[in-house]
Amino acid sequence: MAPLLAIENLSIAYMLGDGRSAEAISDFSLRLERGRIAGIVGQSGAGKSTIGKAILGLLGENARITSGTITLDGTVITRFSEGEFAAIRGKRIGYIYQNPMTALNPVLSIGEQMIEAIEANTARRGEAARTYALELLKSAEVSHAEERLSKYPHQLSGGLCQRIVFAIAIAAQPDLIIADEPTTALDVTVQKAVLATLKRLACEQQIAIVLITHDMGVVFQMCDEVSVLCRGRLVEHGSTAQVIGAPRERYTKDLMAAIPSVDLKRDRFDVLDSFANTPGRRRGIAFLKSGIAAARGGEALLTVNGLSKTFDTRGRRAASGGFRALDDVGFEVFAGETLGIVGESGSGKSTIGRAILGLIEPDAGAGIAFQGRPIADMRSRRDRIALSRSLQCIFQDPYSSLNPRMSAGTNITYGIVAQGLISRAHAKVLAEDLLEVVGLPRQAAGRMPHAFSGGERQRIGIARALAFRPELIFCDEPTSALDVTVQAEILNLMKELQETLGLTLVFVSHDLAVVRQMCDRVIVMRAGRLVEEGRADQVLTYPRETYTRELLAAMPRIALEGAR
Amino acid sequence: MTNFILRRLGQSLILLIIMSVIVFAGMYVISDPVAVMAGEDATDADREALARSFGLDQPLPIQYLTFLGNIARGDFGTSFVYGRPVLPLILERLPATLEVVLLAVVVGLLVGIPLGIYSGLNRRKVPTKIISLGTTVGYSIPNFWQALLFILIFAVWLRVLPASGRGPTTELFGIGWSILNAEGFRYVILPAANLSVALICMQTRLARSGTQEVMYQDYMMFARAKGIARPRLIGRHLLRNILIPIVTITGLELGTLIAFSTVTETVFSWPGIGKLLLDSIYRSDRPVVVAYMILITLMFVLINLVADILYAVLDPRIRYA
Repeated sequence: MAPLLAIENLSIAYMLGDGRSAEAISDFSLRLERGRIAGIVGQSGAGKSTIGKAILGLLGENARITSGTITLDGTVITRFSEGEFAAIRGKRIGYIYQNPMTALNPVLSIGEQMIEAIEANTARRGEAARTYALELLKSAEVSHAEERLSKYPHQLSGGLCQRIVFAIAIAAQPDLIIADEPTTALDVTVQKAVLATLKRLACEQQIAIVLITHDMGVVFQMCDEVSVLCRGRLVEHGSTAQVIGAPRERYTKDLMAAIPSVDLKRDRFDVLDSFANTPGRRRGIAFLKSGIAAARGGEALLTVNGLSKTFDTRGRRAASGGFRALDDVGFEVFAGETLGIVGESGSGKSTIGRAILGLIEPDAGAGIAFQGRPIADMRSRRDRIALSRSLQCIFQDPYSSLNPRMSAGTNITYGIVAQGLISRAHAKVLAEDLLEVVGLPRQAAGRMPHAFSGGERQRIGIARALAFRPELIFCDEPTSALDVTVQAEILNLMKELQETLGLTLVFVSHDLAVVRQMCDRVIVMRAGRLVEEGRADQVLTYPRETYTRELLAAMPRIALEGAR
Repeated sequence: MTNFILRRLGQSLILLIIMSVIVFAGMYVISDPVAVMAGEDATDADREALARSFGLDQPLPIQYLTFLGNIARGDFGTSFVYGRPVLPLILERLPATLEVVLLAVVVGLLVGIPLGIYSGLNRRKVPTKIISLGTTVGYSIPNFWQALLFILIFAVWLRVLPASGRGPTTELFGIGWSILNAEGFRYVILPAANLSVALICMQTRLARSGTQEVMYQDYMMFARAKGIARPRLIGRHLLRNILIPIVTITGLELGTLIAFSTVTETVFSWPGIGKLLLDSIYRSDRPVVVAYMILITLMFVLINLVADILYAVLDPRIRYA
């Protein structure tokens, strides 16, 4: 019997403006039976989503299928017209999109968006379609289904929106669902529940699923088989147990080695770091060492007491309430340590950072003291400059945190030049030295940010923070926008620098495994409150609080015997 | 929402007072209505008598306060030129302007939005290039010159439409509308077409840029992936999202056209309020100008309020506290 979905030697190219073309997918093949879940993994830019879109006929105008075929249940669909595709989309193939918040039209109600899909793909009309929509919402485990129909996407959480997207995808009982990174935008606890729903639906209705993801943990939980994709090429295919447990190809092995584990702290990730011990790098490190006071163990560098922050949500007359982003949070950061702040989105992690860096005004009564002095007292210009020199930040999004109109070198030094810490003439050499410190070539100083990859940009961001020779660096999810192998490189770099320079880091992350690798101590945040505090190995191995246990349990784990 | 509306109306009251002071003082500085009214050969005694009869011998602040007091009683003053109460004078001219402007706006929307969506969806096709050229030309040619071309082509050469004036009117709600009968409608066509050219060009551009932006949104791709057919995709998912900037601009344009379509009304000798304003400024007819500006300000406030309310209807993310 022919498989439900057969992709044979598929190649897809993007036409470039000048008449040339770039191959995005080369010679990709996949066969999938009903009721099975096939994973497609790979790093960003590997072409995973392109395959998903090709199956649905949703490739952009400039993409061409140059060879190969896609066959659905015996019918070749590769050369279908838009009209023919419209006839199978929704009916035979459902689609689940990466970001549920943007997949739903913001100006149409949930009910309208569900009912239009039902009416387009089934025989149900009007009241029958509405009743069926309620049924679907219930089977996708959406509570208060009746009420949700009249809501708009912005009024619902990401997890709920994704369940609604599920409900739409299964409306016509399709044979196949393409799930493109279905949980990337969601918190771990939500991810766990959402994946369980997806798996149950697939099982009950014998739906085959193509699951596109970058997360090996998700693959391990969900998939029967996996295809590993690298730069548009299939490098390895096999059962999940085989690919994850005993990868044959070098690329898959590297990918597995770069995945941080929440259960085991490793000194370094097993990826290649290339720090040539050049004179420039030695000079850069000497410069940094001369300015950063060596860590004196046991001394509290930063003390936070009773930190609260209320955001007005109802305009000026906010006496009645407002949103409490932080509620009486207190902790200390000791010199030379890395303190992790973990929690789900909305728990107040970034707000803590902004309050420490003085970017927002905390509520009255909060006490933030740096080196024993309350920062609220540091009002003079000299004090402010000294403080901003001592407290630096590495940002989450390496794409928007560099000034796109300045070269990499200028990006690194414009702050310290502006504050008069260094002359313009010295700045150029320093920028080049610091680039070598973070593992980039000296010549990179002259290039503009857009010429760098995400990981390279984050290295530049780190160099910029270091240039101030700060006492404390606040790292706000520094690797969450990066691929797992790039993440491993950046984490290695940060560890390396911390050991060499004795840096003090506050490391914010939603990823417990990353925190486990990086941090000495951890505080766990939930809805603005600090729920648990302690040594990282303690908190992440034997958590005292239920919430921390839930977080840990929700982490998709790869628990294969002999996998590690 | 009610709070929001009340606050906006309160703000507009302040705006109206500021507006009336500026216009009142401005007209006082520009010219002396007594001199204009009395004519060349009037004696000083004539002038004084004239000034006293209109209260123009009082100092300006007193004149202004008297004026405010009268407005509170619903009296906007009496025209120096026509010798009649100002309010009916303006209101009887208003329908003529309204019918031309509303027709032009409706045509602008009905022609501009489809053209814009078409060219947004088919960027490389030949008609798109023609539309794009057309909107550029339509924008660039001055309004009065277009009006003259229209008269030349349709009234002088082809002799199919009248060149000027307003045709016979039909009564509705006690007001005469020329748009309601066939003969009168022929007179409306050219001025309305003249006003609608710029509107069509603007709506086309707004709809096109909106379409190009919205078509690349995730939710449009997801709607296609759901199996939604093209007519609904365009008519509902796309249209609903591009309407907000269109509503904004249409609101502003509507106000501007009603208040200041002076050029078109002058070229076509259309007896609307734009022409009344121009005549009154020339003749220093201060009560007419001041009342006019107050009414127009009020109208802008109301149109913008309606536009704001429409936003909230169109986009559920917008809520006014």
